[in-house]
Amino acid sequence: MLNFIIQRLLSGIGVLFFISIITFVVLMWIPGNPALLSLGTDATPEKVEALKESMGLHVPWYEQYINWLIGFLSGDWGTSYVFGEEILILITQRLPVTLSLAALSLTIAIPFAVMFGVISALYQNKWIDYMARSLMQLGDAVPQFWLALLFLVFFAAGYGWFPVAGFTPMEEGFWVSVHSILLPSIVLAIGQVGPLIRIIRSSMLSSLEQDYMLMTRVNGLSRTRAIGKYALRGAIIAPLTIVGMQLAGILGGAVLVESIFALPGIGRLLLMAVEQRDLILLQGVVFFITSAVVIVNIITDILYRLVNPMIRFGGNHE
Amino acid sequence: MKNKWIHLEDLRVSDAYGRDIIRQASMELFENEFVGIVGESGSGKTMTVKAILDLLPEELNMTCSKNEVLGQNLLKLSGKERKRLIGSGIGFVPQNTIAFLHPLIKIKHQIGEAFITHGMGNKKLAKEKAIHLLEKVGIREPKRVLNSYPIQLSGGMKQRVNIAMALMTDPKVIVADEPTTALDTVIQKQVLELLKEVHDKDGVSILFISHDLKIVKQFCHRVYVMYKGNVVEAGKTKEIFQHPKHTYTKELISLLPTLSKDKHMAETV
Amino acid sequence: MSRLRNNKLFVLGIILVSMVVGLCAVSFFYLPHDPNVMNTKERLLSPSVEYLLGTDQFGRDILSRIMVSSRYALFIGLVSVSIGAAIGLFIGAIAATSKGIIQGLLMRMIDGLMAFPGILLAMMLVAVLGEGLWNAVLAIGIFMIPVFARLSYSLVLDQKDELYIKAAQSYGTSRTRIIFKHLLPTIMPRIITQFSASIGNAILIESSLSFLGLGVQPPDASWGLMLSESRQYTLTYPFLSVPPGIILVITVLGFNLIGDAVNDSMVKRRAAA
Repeated sequence: MLNFIIQRLLSGIGVLFFISIITFVVLMWIPGNPALLSLGTDATPEKVEALKESMGLHVPWYEQYINWLIGFLSGDWGTSYVFGEEILILITQRLPVTLSLAALSLTIAIPFAVMFGVISALYQNKWIDYMARSLMQLGDAVPQFWLALLFLVFFAAGYGWFPVAGFTPMEEGFWVSVHSILLPSIVLAIGQVGPLIRIIRSSMLSSLEQDYMLMTRVNGLSRTRAIGKYALRGAIIAPLTIVGMQLAGILGGAVLVESIFALPGIGRLLLMAVEQRDLILLQGVVFFITSAVVIVNIITDILYRLVNPMIRFGGNHE
Repeated sequence: MKNKWIHLEDLRVSDAYGRDIIRQASMELFENEFVGIVGESGSGKTMTVKAILDLLPEELNMTCSKNEVLGQNLLKLSGKERKRLIGSGIGFVPQNTIAFLHPLIKIKHQIGEAFITHGMGNKKLAKEKAIHLLEKVGIREPKRVLNSYPIQLSGGMKQRVNIAMALMTDPKVIVADEPTTALDTVIQKQVLELLKEVHDKDGVSILFISHDLKIVKQFCHRVYVMYKGNVVEAGKTKEIFQHPKHTYTKELISLLPTLSKDKHMAETV
Repeated sequence: MSRLRNNKLFVLGIILVSMVVGLCAVSFFYLPHDPNVMNTKERLLSPSVEYLLGTDQFGRDILSRIMVSSRYALFIGLVSVSIGAAIGLFIGAIAATSKGIIQGLLMRMIDGLMAFPGILLAMMLVAVLGEGLWNAVLAIGIFMIPVFARLSYSLVLDQKDELYIKAAQSYGTSRTRIIFKHLLPTIMPRIITQFSASIGNAILIESSLSFLGLGVQPPDASWGLMLSESRQYTLTYPFLSVPPGIILVITVLGFNLIGDAVNDSMVKRRAAA
């Protein structure tokens, strides 16, 4: 187990290293002149030189990379060109919004997905299964930004059930805050439900076919108990691992949803960085998001092994 | 007259496309008997037993003129009554190769399942009984085993746990479906002797499925030979081995190594 | 194939995709109106015989704009997935047939690319390359690489030890020859399945990019862009956001259904074999 954790951490660090190189190369090296990009068309040569100097671009690229990495690791993520503020501060300011959005959307998505996944497996090829599967297909095909737009029109602007824009922080009351991000969270949750149902359904189906289910019949257990205690336990553990993957989807969706609902989160920040060509800010946000995805995946991987005795004790087998 | 614990007549099972899996099978198991079913894989041995125990998958069609278990007509019982009768009256020892024990649940939470479900006692009683039975099947540290997950046990240990689990409800019959496959010879022998001991001491009737003629010859009083979905031969073990009638049985027997030691063992049983 | 034809979802997928392809094909010969001509007198009209789906904020015919947009959607979908598939296949095959450091490096790189949430990588590339059709194609293509690289990596690993490859190796056949002559033909069906499943996703990303103003640029039409432009008017004239969304769902659903059905039939065939 310890071996696995170390191995997983090492490969995670490897992936992070590559991500840092990819973001660095793409943003700082390929276009040749990020200073020029940042300043746009009205840049005078003096301005460019000055900005280059301040961005640390006057040294060779590998030195730039090492400087950037050292700075990054020591908490100096650079200063945003557009906001004129430290990037780390900009991110931490906006983090609560995106985190609440992610947490609330998972809180909505997971119970629904478990319910529909399990029911649709129990009634395989019955109408309710077909319905769940159709919803799944539809959920995968409906663009989140369109859904967000429609929800905004009908539920926020039309019926006035929800605020049209903006985020109310936790300090002003838990439920007020939840209410302010409920609609965007539902949109994000709808995007998550499809893949979650799919994996829970298939893992439940395979659990139902296991021999321990035959044993529950030999022992004369009621179907409720057989499903509740045996089938569910076999089915619920595998989907754990993809919750980490889901985070990537949520963060990707957050860019669009935050933009539509005017929520001041990381996604909005990212979009601004792209629109304003603030490459240093973009680099910071991108690396922050991808690292979060990688780290959460490592954690879920390790958790999965901790709760799964088949792997935890696998070494003692025969 | 001895009690008849299992009485199956004219069983026929076909799949959803109407193809026969079992064409014709009749079977009896009396009180205090050790009966074997032999045949190659795919001959319908396991399917027959599953039909007796009401375990066939829903998509299969099954007909029979009689299926009595422990003196009760299964065809007339409701689903609930059937569950109760089989769950409390019959123990099942599965093949060792597959996960009949739930891999994510500790032994202590599954071993007493039938005992508790059929109202034979509470969790505490179940645990006491489980410890007693685990000791009886030769497990030295029953408490440690109860606190383990199946993956932490060796193949032989798991099979002992399976046997103890089958004994939890003091069943009249134990059905053992190839219980020694994938065990090495020493452990195989231990498990078989354990089953024999349960049979001899507690008077539990045993329906023993195997493809291994040598074992059947050594342990069983009577034998059913199955071939391509039919019971082709039935009778006392000794008679069948001495005067096989069906060509398939003859072939099977001719493949046995005819060492004098084997013969000697057959005599002593 | 006969099993596929009996699969209702597959047939539905084919119908949906045919509708969109049909719309696209017709757009080259006939358009109800010029999609880019503005007519301020006829702004935000409701559907009528003259304008079947009404007009937008500039008085442009929505149906015509949707028809023209289908060209971009299909083009971007096909080309970007082709780019991703070709490069991914190449990287995956190289990684699977090499050893040690190169394999490790390539796979870590793919893992790294995979960690970028959907649209993020595309946005990053667009930020650097600039907005526009071609850059969106390139960005989505790069986003598609890891999926195909992972797939071909595992497929090639499975095939590598198969006897015929060993046999070919023992004759001294070169690695390139083995890859192109022996490996590719056997793994192609799975790649094609992934290809059809990815097109829907690519079109979704294109529309998202265009919605954010990073893809197709005005005055050209794209479903995502149309939706983005409708945002200002959603409160006064909500219908504007409906038609482009529906056609987008139809397209993505169609390609997804086809991909799923083909994938299912392959799984079944493998299980039967």
